Amino acid sequence: MQEKNISINNLEQCQKCSICTHVCPVMAINPVYRGPKQSGPDGERYRIKNNIFFDDTLKYCMNCKRCEVVCPSGVRIADIIQSAKSNYGHIRPKLRDRILASTDFMGSLAHPFAPVVNWGLSLTPVKKILDATVGVAAQRSLPKYSATTFETWFRRYMAAEQQQYSRHIAYYHGCYANYNYPQLGKDFVHVMNALGYGVDLIEGERCCGVAKITNGMMDSATKDAKHNLELFRKEIGLGKEIITVSTSCTLTLRDEYSHILGLDNSDVREHISLAEKFIWEAIGEGRVKLAWRKDFKAKAAYHCPCHQEKLGWGFFSMELLKMIPGMELVELESACCGIAGTYGFKKENYIYSQAIGRALFENIAAVDPDFVACECETCKWQIEMSTGYPVKNPVSILAEALDLEETARLNREVNNTPAQA
Amino acid sequence: MKFETIIIGAGRSGMAKALQLQKAGKNCAVFSKGRSLYGYNGEEFREMGGTVFMGDGVVRATIENGLVKAIYSENFGSIPLEADNYFLATGKFFAGGLRADMEHIYEPIFGLDVEYLKNREEWFNRDFAAHQPFLDFGVKTDAEGHAIKDGQSIKNLYPIGEILSNIK
Repeated sequence: MQEKNISINNLEQCQKCSICTHVCPVMAINPVYRGPKQSGPDGERYRIKNNIFFDDTLKYCMNCKRCEVVCPSGVRIADIIQSAKSNYGHIRPKLRDRILASTDFMGSLAHPFAPVVNWGLSLTPVKKILDATVGVAAQRSLPKYSATTFETWFRRYMAAEQQQYSRHIAYYHGCYANYNYPQLGKDFVHVMNALGYGVDLIEGERCCGVAKITNGMMDSATKDAKHNLELFRKEIGLGKEIITVSTSCTLTLRDEYSHILGLDNSDVREHISLAEKFIWEAIGEGRVKLAWRKDFKAKAAYHCPCHQEKLGWGFFSMELLKMIPGMELVELESACCGIAGTYGFKKENYIYSQAIGRALFENIAAVDPDFVACECETCKWQIEMSTGYPVKNPVSILAEALDLEETARLNREVNNTPAQA
Repeated sequence: MKFETIIIGAGRSGMAKALQLQKAGKNCAVFSKGRSLYGYNGEEFREMGGTVFMGDGVVRATIENGLVKAIYSENFGSIPLEADNYFLATGKFFAGGLRADMEHIYEPIFGLDVEYLKNREEWFNRDFAAHQPFLDFGVKTDAEGHAIKDGQSIKNLYPIGEILSNIK
């Protein structure tokens, strides 16, 4: 009977149209990689039978998910590839991969010695040693650590005054805002406070696990994920939404937890949102008011990160940026920057990483903006290193363009209206 | 969020309609569940100010007083998207515009009236190369091209392209 012919395997949905192959950024520059269709649904049919068919070239997949965005049949191609690497692969994560993927652990080790670590990691001889011993590309500028974490700053200066707000959100800052670039977290807190929302930390949050998943550290990622989901349930139970500022964290928490790690996150998924989407919705529903600075003037080029393409939420960032008076906004043609999280830091991927990003870099240079607007932290590293143009998260751009005091005053009125409570 | 026109489906019919209307000065948004091999002409449409929601599929709609009030998509979740007029260009079975179970053939987003033969045995022709009746099945429209649901016209919803019934 036909009912029994409907396969539980998502790969069976593939109708072999090959549009995924057409958009794959790796396929375009690396002749060894067989592309998403062959590496994903086609290869999986054989691997299910026998893992002798596992193909080492799967490691070239960046998990950018552009294949999934264009798939007309809903095949989760990149998920199939990521899962295959750990289910059938014989490649185990190397020491280098473990170091790169353990972003929160490395952050907690490095931040107390940030000035020394940053100085050390910027020296050419140190980079050459890292290249030769563990395999981190020497050409790459390594991310800087902050001496004071976001959490420390927040507890010291901001935590107490959050009590004055009647509305609260739970902020999932992720590793990057905490250890590498606390300014993003600070901008977020200032913007949300001005909009009349108190910000609460999610006590004990762990890394979302995006890097662990792509590096095959599934057990560790699953442990962190279960821990995070419990924390989220508590916050949501208190009536708070979980807001993040990173597209990759958001995608991982919402989709990878269930699709790759096999955890049931259906009860929390709709409560996890990116800051830009949350703010856009709040404006549309009249929950917040904005007052802009009169003297803001900038030309920005918006780069939509791959995981934002997958979320389908670049629209919200664009709409927010368009609202800013004095903003000249150019939308860059959608293209991968090539870094893909830890991928571009690996010695063997460096040339591919830069070749993938070339079209985007040239596009940015042609637009010649004051800065690039982008929600992704690793895109920021890649674009700043490869083009010299500064990259700002839309949240930080809002923090600059808003008249924060006037906005706060407007939203105190909103907050004090009983109907809005 | 409100557009003048929302087009669901970015195949040949959907993109042709989107380009035509955008050129006529209408503010259009297109939902493109995946990229159609031969239909996609997004660059020109976007250059003219059109919006493409790539990789996003419409899942349900609200209908009030014979009009589509809002649609909801996979990526927008609970956020309603509104327009003055909607075009439904989601194709037939292969593209997902029509679905079939053992007894019924239905249109999954709006639940529109679909024309098909009630006896399942008549859906197919056992001769593989012969004309297959199920390929003629599709949604009904009134004389002005409006979609029909439960016998009533929906005055701001226009099915176009492959999804239309071809039953004579």
